[in-house]
Amino acid sequence: MTIEEEAPAASAAGAPARLAARTRNLRKVYGKTVAVDHVDLEVPVGAVLGMLGPNGSGKTTTIRMLLGLTTPTAGSVELLGHKMPEGAGWALPEVGALVEGPGFHPFLSGRENLLRVGAAEPRLSSRDIPRAVGAALERVGLSVAANRRYRGYSLGMKQRLGLAAALLIPRRLVVLDEPTNGLDPAGTREVRAVIADLHAAGTTVLVSSHLLAEVEATCTHVAVLHQGSVVAQGELTDLLEAGDAGLLVSTPDVTVAVDALRDNRIPAREAPGGVQVDLVASSAPDVVATLVRAGVAVHEVRRQRTGLEELFARLTQSSSSGPQLSEVDSFEESS
Amino acid sequence: MTAVVETVASMPAVLTEQRTKAPIGRLLRAELRFMIRRPRTLIALGVLALTPIIAAVAMSVASSSDVGGPGGAAIQGVAALVTQNGMILPIFVLMLALAMLLPMLGSMWSADALAGEASTGGLRSLLLAPVGRARLLAVKAFGVAVLSLLAVTILAVVGVVAGLLILGGDGMLTMSGNTLPFWPSLGRVALLTVMVAVQVWAVAAVALAISACTEHPLVVLASTLGGIIVFTILGNIASLDWLHPFLLTTAWESLGDVARDPMPTDGLGTAVLRAACYIVIGYSLALARMSTKDG
Repeated sequence: MTIEEEAPAASAAGAPARLAARTRNLRKVYGKTVAVDHVDLEVPVGAVLGMLGPNGSGKTTTIRMLLGLTTPTAGSVELLGHKMPEGAGWALPEVGALVEGPGFHPFLSGRENLLRVGAAEPRLSSRDIPRAVGAALERVGLSVAANRRYRGYSLGMKQRLGLAAALLIPRRLVVLDEPTNGLDPAGTREVRAVIADLHAAGTTVLVSSHLLAEVEATCTHVAVLHQGSVVAQGELTDLLEAGDAGLLVSTPDVTVAVDALRDNRIPAREAPGGVQVDLVASSAPDVVATLVRAGVAVHEVRRQRTGLEELFARLTQSSSSGPQLSEVDSFEESS
Repeated sequence: MTAVVETVASMPAVLTEQRTKAPIGRLLRAELRFMIRRPRTLIALGVLALTPIIAAVAMSVASSSDVGGPGGAAIQGVAALVTQNGMILPIFVLMLALAMLLPMLGSMWSADALAGEASTGGLRSLLLAPVGRARLLAVKAFGVAVLSLLAVTILAVVGVVAGLLILGGDGMLTMSGNTLPFWPSLGRVALLTVMVAVQVWAVAAVALAISACTEHPLVVLASTLGGIIVFTILGNIASLDWLHPFLLTTAWESLGDVARDPMPTDGLGTAVLRAACYIVIGYSLALARMSTKDG
């Protein structure tokens, strides 16, 4: 299936316009440690893609290769239609990035630090630098502290300044690596608001995080990394739907319902308040029809919403736990 | 299709230009401003400015009693000529500083330029701007070179002023015994300033190559200064004379030739040539490392 998708995408010239960033078979080896392997990441234009993964799953390494900071051991990277790292000069001016915490100097004020970053920004004309810096500081709520030394900044303020550097000029893609690290709840909300603003303006956002609530609240797309590989990616809603193969049926006739469903080879079991049905091989209407035919009084049928947390836990737990669960199901089914 | 059209984010008030590189002049200015604002730079330059004054005072005191100090043959030779001979002070001070102080400052700036920036993440933000790797190295090398030249110049200028005011005299009594008038002796000081700056550039170039390989500025400082000490020791072992033409430090003694009249130019030429080799090798290694370095 992946091969079918790959072939036209690799040859078609229109593909880069659809994807803001793409990696193909990306691999990075440090000494004997394989940090990242077989990573095929696709960031659609206009998406807010949340990159999830436990610590050490290769999120930052992937981002660093995406931005041309690190050369991949194998595989290719395309950023805004330019091959990286060769095309850095063309791609990066349109990319704002906050990677591995902000890199500023303690003896300069926040404003001076940003002026220095601004001087290196190809797209900024020299006379616009102070104005762009002022606007960026305003945007992240640092105007008041702009002239204080960076040394005295709190962790959250440092993070905000890093965000300001990424937002110095209008971008097509903004890459944020753990943007809410060290931020208080208010700061976290502000980062969410900034991401929502960027999204509304059509900017593509790639945000890595191990905070699931964060991703669930802000992202349209998700990519889950585990031990250096992408174990799932797609639209957030699709992934959640795929993860929640379950219905909760409220009924007083629990035993009748379970028997009727099992007779029709639909896995079901008793649950508090009714019957829990797995939608592995059937659809919700089938389940309801079966129950009605069996004369079960159905008060309510509710689709079970798996949170991202459950999905994430399932994807990143050791691979043995998956089959074990289904074994339990089939055992129950046959008994 | 509409999504593609809408990708240009609308943030008002800031004009942008279609460029892939920031203007080089702007980068160089920003780098110099950044380096000069550093507290350690200011402290180093301040100490450097005090050195000739302290030396002048010490000599005018010492010249009344006759106590010889320790030091290399060249330094002692210069020191013997100092009394009532103010224009020789900058030469003495420059030679003295070249032995340790100036190489230390040069390698400190080199250490901060890449290793220090890498450890704070500043290098990453420059690479992401983006500043190309070769360009970034050029900007950093330029900053180190300008500050090294500034350091040597401060030493020379303060040396001339302190020499004339504290030690007196208006010409230079050379090691050959005759006296040069004021302007030619000022020319000799200027020549030595350039010569010493070139030697510091050579040390800084090698330090920059080391700096490109590590994230720890102290490693750069320690290995460069350690290297100079080793070179000096090797240079003093007579049985290793076949090695001496390759050592940067063995050429330094001949820089004292500017205090002779007529001035022998062979040693000076060799010193410049050798420094140039070190500069080429240092920057080549730094460039090779920079092009693959993780930002």
